[in-house]
Amino acid sequence: MIFPFFPFWFVDVLGSLLMVLFGLLCVIKAFSLRRMDPDNVIWAYLLWLSMALSFFALSRSIGHIVQHILIATGYKHTWEMLRPYSGSLNTLAFVVGGAVTLFFERIWGIYHRIMRDQESLRDAHDKLIFINRHLDELVRERTRELIASERKYRRLFEDAQEAIIIASPEGNIVDINTAGLRLFGHERKDIIGEIRLEDLFQSSEEFQRFLEKIKQDGYVTNWECVLQKPRNGEKLVVLISGSREEYGERYVLWLRDISQRKILERQLLNADKLSSIGRLAAGIAHEINNPLGIILGYTQLLLRSEPPDSERYEDLKTIEKHVRMCKNIVGDLLKFSRMTPTERQLTDIHSVIEEVLAMLHHQFERSNIVVEKDFDRSIPEFSLDVSKMKQVFINILINARDAIGDKKGGQIFIRTKRQQSQDSVLIQIEDNGCGIPPEHLGKIFEPFFTTKPPGKGTGLGLAVSYGIVAEHGGDIMVESTESKGAIFTIVLPLRH
Amino acid sequence: MSKAKLFIDAVLKTSIWSGLCLLWNIGCPNLAFSLQLHGDPEGLYVHQIAHFFFVISMTILIYWLFRMKLLFQRGWRFIGLGATFLILWNIDAFVGHWIEGTNGVNMIVKGNHWSGTIEFPSLSENMAVLYYLLKLDHLLCVPAIASIFLGLRELYTDSVKTLRQRQES
Repeated sequence: MIFPFFPFWFVDVLGSLLMVLFGLLCVIKAFSLRRMDPDNVIWAYLLWLSMALSFFALSRSIGHIVQHILIATGYKHTWEMLRPYSGSLNTLAFVVGGAVTLFFERIWGIYHRIMRDQESLRDAHDKLIFINRHLDELVRERTRELIASERKYRRLFEDAQEAIIIASPEGNIVDINTAGLRLFGHERKDIIGEIRLEDLFQSSEEFQRFLEKIKQDGYVTNWECVLQKPRNGEKLVVLISGSREEYGERYVLWLRDISQRKILERQLLNADKLSSIGRLAAGIAHEINNPLGIILGYTQLLLRSEPPDSERYEDLKTIEKHVRMCKNIVGDLLKFSRMTPTERQLTDIHSVIEEVLAMLHHQFERSNIVVEKDFDRSIPEFSLDVSKMKQVFINILINARDAIGDKKGGQIFIRTKRQQSQDSVLIQIEDNGCGIPPEHLGKIFEPFFTTKPPGKGTGLGLAVSYGIVAEHGGDIMVESTESKGAIFTIVLPLRH
Repeated sequence: MSKAKLFIDAVLKTSIWSGLCLLWNIGCPNLAFSLQLHGDPEGLYVHQIAHFFFVISMTILIYWLFRMKLLFQRGWRFIGLGATFLILWNIDAFVGHWIEGTNGVNMIVKGNHWSGTIEFPSLSENMAVLYYLLKLDHLLCVPAIASIFLGLRELYTDSVKTLRQRQES
């Protein structure tokens, strides 16, 4: 088959020229890349590849062009002589190109590793330059942050309600907060460097046990122990929680004073005992009440047959007086123990108060006491035991009268108010008498507690009142300033 | 035994055996094959193996470009395209050489470059067409090297841009 020679010749000659041209351009471009970043191994690889391809293009194309020239000019035998060299160089060129390419993956890996390292180095370098340029500013900013942080934690430390002590491993107190100073009643300078942790413990054995525990576990939680105030040896019952710092080897201890709680616990225990005694007393009172009634009855019977001016009449009168006193005490005891049944009825609380005031009117008048009322008329009628509530008001008002005593300008204020939110009634009885000393405030509702002289009071009035109010589902509270008076507040629910 | 002694022992044994072999060859010259002859087809085989090797290396290059997601970059995509053309060119050349090697191609050129003809009398008609087309292999290798050049140019442009951005930042 015959083919046109021109396409064959044209593609071969032009192709060869273009191969040489592009091969050289590849080398130039790769060289430019390499020159731009001489440390880049990828550009080194591309330069090698380009050189191999260029060598291949040159050897091949020159071979082809020379072939055409020699054949056209009749030097075919010369070409036959050169042909093996051209072919060999050609083979060698693309073997080199192929061999170089096989290393591409490894070179790329190296390149990336270098780039990563270079990036890290550049970052570190940039950071260093930044730090170098802004060192003053950075130090200032860091100092500001540190100051703010120190202020924040110092405030936490100082404002904490619990005592916080920081101690060295040797047991020296390094720092203590305000609550701690308050607890031990010392100035800071008297404690830091002056007092050891051990000095705060009442028992050195307990301190050793505490120390071993915190050393062994690294912390303690709610360790109850008795401490003492270094100044006067006053006991303090505290709960200690604390930890040992890993770095710096310091102890940070939180102390919670539970002395008051302990007192309250003791009081609760006493109240429990009193309750038992009360129940026993009520039983006894119930049993004694009947014989007393009989003694009183017979005494009154004997009195009828005796002439009033006889000596026996006087003796019987003395017996009657003391039996009545015993009966009153027994009666109060029974009321306190709530052994008398409650009879409720819908009543206006103001009418109850008015009746009591009318009953005591003469007594107040005799003592020059002015009673002022401020009643909330919106309070509806509600269910209560009238006679018992009268007893409550009588007890409180009599106490107010006794507190005012002979003082001039004695006043008693009675206020009522409806508490919408709690659906209850608030009754306040305020006097401007001598008030109640703070140490008595916690005891006034205890049975048999009285500050009145013997024979004047049984000490059951407020206790009985408390019982009655509690029976109505209410509460009774007292607040007082010594020598300025007292306010008794009774809260009664409207629905019970 | 120490490493030095083991080494000396190995050197001595090798020297003795080499000496004995040399003496044997001097005694029997017809059994010496120190130089191997390379006949006519060997050059063709080497050339064909080189083509095959080039195909393998270009395939590996494309695989790595694909695996490293470099084909998403314009510059490397051109280089990948160049490698693909080179693979095609190698196949073209391999088949062309195979036809030459198996059929002993004679080429009769008549006339000048512009209006002359070319004939392959030793080839069948189909084979002659195939051989003629295969001989136009510059249609594959020129795009190959041109693509590689374009790829390099793109990479260069990108590098210049990156360098400038880094300098500006």
